[in-house]
Amino acid sequence: MNRPGVGIYGLTGCAGDQLVILNCEARLLEIAGLVDILDFPMASSERNRTSRLDIAFVEGSVMSARDEALLHWIRGRSDTLVAIGTCAMWGGIPEIGASTAEWQDMREAVYGPAAIGYDSRPARPLSDFVTVDVALPGCPIEAHEFLECLACLTRGYRPALPRYPVCAECRWQENGCLLIERDMPCLGPLTVGGCRARCPSLGQPCIGCRGPVEDANVTSGLWTLEERGVSRSVARLKVGAFHPSSLLSAEPAGGDS
Amino acid sequence: MSPPLRIETLTRVEGHGAIAVEYDGDRAVDVRFDVTEGIRLFESILRKRSYEDLPPFISRICAICSAAHTLTALKAIEQAFEVRVSEQTEALRELLMTGGNIASHALHIFFLAVPDYLGVPDSLALARSHPELLSIALRLKAVGNAIQETIGGRAVHPVRAVPGGFSSFPDFDDLLALKARIEEGIRDARTALDFLAGLPDPEPLPGSAAFLALRSPTGKGYYAGDQLVVQRRPDVRLAPISDYRQFITEDSPVHSHARHSRVDEQVFMVGALARLETRARPHDGLAERAMNDLGLRRPFGNPFDNNKAQMVELAGDFERAGRLVQRLMDEGIKSEEPADVRPRAAHGTAGTEAPRGLLVHSYEFDEEGLVTTADVITPTAMNAASIEEQMREVISRTPRAPEGELRARLEMLVRAYDPCISCSVHMIRI
Repeated sequence: MNRPGVGIYGLTGCAGDQLVILNCEARLLEIAGLVDILDFPMASSERNRTSRLDIAFVEGSVMSARDEALLHWIRGRSDTLVAIGTCAMWGGIPEIGASTAEWQDMREAVYGPAAIGYDSRPARPLSDFVTVDVALPGCPIEAHEFLECLACLTRGYRPALPRYPVCAECRWQENGCLLIERDMPCLGPLTVGGCRARCPSLGQPCIGCRGPVEDANVTSGLWTLEERGVSRSVARLKVGAFHPSSLLSAEPAGGDS
Repeated sequence: MSPPLRIETLTRVEGHGAIAVEYDGDRAVDVRFDVTEGIRLFESILRKRSYEDLPPFISRICAICSAAHTLTALKAIEQAFEVRVSEQTEALRELLMTGGNIASHALHIFFLAVPDYLGVPDSLALARSHPELLSIALRLKAVGNAIQETIGGRAVHPVRAVPGGFSSFPDFDDLLALKARIEEGIRDARTALDFLAGLPDPEPLPGSAAFLALRSPTGKGYYAGDQLVVQRRPDVRLAPISDYRQFITEDSPVHSHARHSRVDEQVFMVGALARLETRARPHDGLAERAMNDLGLRRPFGNPFDNNKAQMVELAGDFERAGRLVQRLMDEGIKSEEPADVRPRAAHGTAGTEAPRGLLVHSYEFDEEGLVTTADVITPTAMNAASIEEQMREVISRTPRAPEGELRARLEMLVRAYDPCISCSVHMIRI
């Protein structure tokens, strides 16, 4: 049997998800034996631009015409497209929820008149442009989820990813609740699990880096933070940090600006 | 007339860049380093966020430099709010920075740069020609990540480092396990050094004449310090980091999403080679041996030597990380609460030596501790002008070199600077 052909790509982002793949140090040679890595520009200058890819992993969000063209080209040559990381899945931190005009003003404030010549626009997730077959959340993705995903796809089925919040895994770790017992602004209830409650287990509140869990109650999440002394505007910035559009589902509160 | 040659994707670098060479007939006449990475406007979206949300947020500028971004932000916050952290916190942060430096340098030297010296497309090709070296390189990089996981809680985007200190701590057994891996790393670094010392040198380039680095109060280390060394041979001067805007000037060329920097109107370099050049004390131990084996001596400047300078640091880092871990084990690691942080309207500026060079973060906060302005200058942004200057030198020497050969040489040069292009577009004032 031929080894599945794999491509690994980055659009605009921090390269953290590709780095997590490279950080699977002890498993990298095993991975290289299991699949045929045909195109991985971050790691190799030998690029196969023509062969069909069985699996393409794509990190980052679409922030330019160049990103969009690259994404369509990857989709066109791939049987299965996997969005890796919160930017690819949700747009991530740069998906600031601003209108294009507002965003252009911000850009000019930062770069001056030269910005007009730049190929750049507000961040969008991959699924706004192409069909995404599997999406691995996380900022960055968790290595164990990546390896499980790769193992599943090379055997012809899709990984079953968690659909429960970080809180479920936090209970399994038998952690005390940072939100209820220590009044810390923890976003575990709003955030999809799969990280084994990494941050709460280390004494840090969840900051929502994996994006929202299904049916996240954003309105209630904002109230919960406000009850703990966080101002509404800071609470909104916290809850929306990795997926600002999730705030669109929040009910407006009285006096909200 | 041939059209300008354009490399759409520069491979084996972090982020998206391109090299564009302009031809007049068969002669290369000009060259540009284009940063084509999308613009994420990080500094704009930091506004009105709480100081406590700032470090994990700014970390997302770049994964490979995430420990450096996190810790530089913490330093700036603590400077603004006059927070004094414990000695243990300082030691843990230095160790975390060192882990980041090891992981970044090992990735760059063995996986991004070495294939150029061997004429292979990537390091997986070493599985056939140099299998032992590939295993060693993977182990060296893994130790850097193990340090970041043990101290910071995650190899990419650390979790535990918070304003005032750490949210939780490794226990003795974690440190013991880390110590064993670091000791294996020292042995591996020796073997790796022998291999690198046998590689052929590319034709040297003059390099830029000015250097900028953070002065380390101990003479070694990447985290502590608040003085900059500004060096233009033979002049050396020190300046407080808070004055950085007085001598770093920037412009925004249209072809690049990174601004270009000058110091005193001169193109300058930051990074491992600049740290070597501006260092106050000679090296010792394995780093000293690396200097000798790799044939590095003053004056430094040839950008290809940045690869060697990284190997010198990598060798020294393993020994230093081993000493830091030993000290933490000897003294016993205390589960201490972070120092009290009381926000106020204030301005804070801090610098560290990130793997690729000087990193400066500067913020203003209002009385509630919300960010009102942010300014981040990254090493790759500071190096961008030097990269272009040295690329021009290459084409002026060999304007009629065959296209493929010229392209390979330019790519090798750019990689020697170890550019981190995700970072480079974030050097922005709001």
